[in-house]
Amino acid sequence: MILDLHTHSIKSDDGRAKVQNYCQWIKARQLPLDGFVLTEHRQFDFESDYSELARAFDLVILKGSEVETEYGHVLVFGVTEALTRQLDFAHTRLALADVISASEAEGAVAVPCHPGRPRVGMCAHIENLGIPSGVRIVETLNGGSREGEDAAAGEMARREGYAGTGGSDAHIVSHIGRCATRFPDWIDSEAALADALRAGGFEAVSFQTGEK
Amino acid sequence: MMAKLQEAELASLRDRYLNLDFEEKTYHLDPEKCIAYARACGEIAPRFTDPEDPDFQALPTFVSSLSSRRQLPDDFPRFDGIGMDAGKAVTARAPIRLPASVTGRSHLHDIYTKTGRSGNMLFIVSRMDVYAADEQHLASADTRIVIRERRT
Repeated sequence: MILDLHTHSIKSDDGRAKVQNYCQWIKARQLPLDGFVLTEHRQFDFESDYSELARAFDLVILKGSEVETEYGHVLVFGVTEALTRQLDFAHTRLALADVISASEAEGAVAVPCHPGRPRVGMCAHIENLGIPSGVRIVETLNGGSREGEDAAAGEMARREGYAGTGGSDAHIVSHIGRCATRFPDWIDSEAALADALRAGGFEAVSFQTGEK
Repeated sequence: MMAKLQEAELASLRDRYLNLDFEEKTYHLDPEKCIAYARACGEIAPRFTDPEDPDFQALPTFVSSLSSRRQLPDDFPRFDGIGMDAGKAVTARAPIRLPASVTGRSHLHDIYTKTGRSGNMLFIVSRMDVYAADEQHLASADTRIVIRERRT
């Protein structure tokens, strides 16, 4: 199963894509995606229900979040109401250690994203802050990366023994599916996605031409 | 101040400025100008381009071109950084029949920070609510301003 683990819709302040349009694009372009995860910035979107869209387009549509920490941005999968009560998702200076521990306590999984990106990626902060404890997975392929950023992320993942995910970081329709994550088994819920990430056995895949 | 804007300062700004009208202005919407705007947008539907059409109205995004005298409250603090337009958004609530005199009332709808590739950013969302003469709420037009920290 292939899921794009990092997308933004108009629910994010800088997102310009409607979820329906993502679905239409995936089908029209016959992208090799079985679904995608909406990781809206600094929030968890409890109110939107995409189940009808998912049925209509035969896609898995899940929800996560992208929060901001002193180590940069972090995707959180398997978000629960209890987790949003523990962490202020809107806060732009969350402690990564808190995000990881609270996520683990609530059955969620925290994944630092675009770690090779200046200022908002984990690599940029390691020299000053050290290697953070508790990180097991990082996003090694990001569709918005510039030259060298994914290579830096991959090198750090190899060095530290992190598993790697992939996601497009799409904010507009045509960017979805640039990168994704291949899982060995089918995933049909946020909880199952968190379980699959904990279980391992997944790999980041790129559908872009040229390495970044 | 930009880079050091703390959560408490942000909360204080939000408490002090959000949802308080700071500007009210009446606009007279001329059909010809609205038609020219619609055509410039590539619109060809007669309800936006033909005054004889029974459903003739302004293109919903036209309200984003209405310019208030002030974009921010008079006493809103200045921030050291690079200010830029960060986009506009319109929520249409009812057709604007032309010609029309409408009233725009502006308030700050949101103030928030985020971090990105270019550093710390402060976003200010100014919302103009547009009302008909009978106070029917016709549209809301958001203008987003970003103030990005200067690179050192």
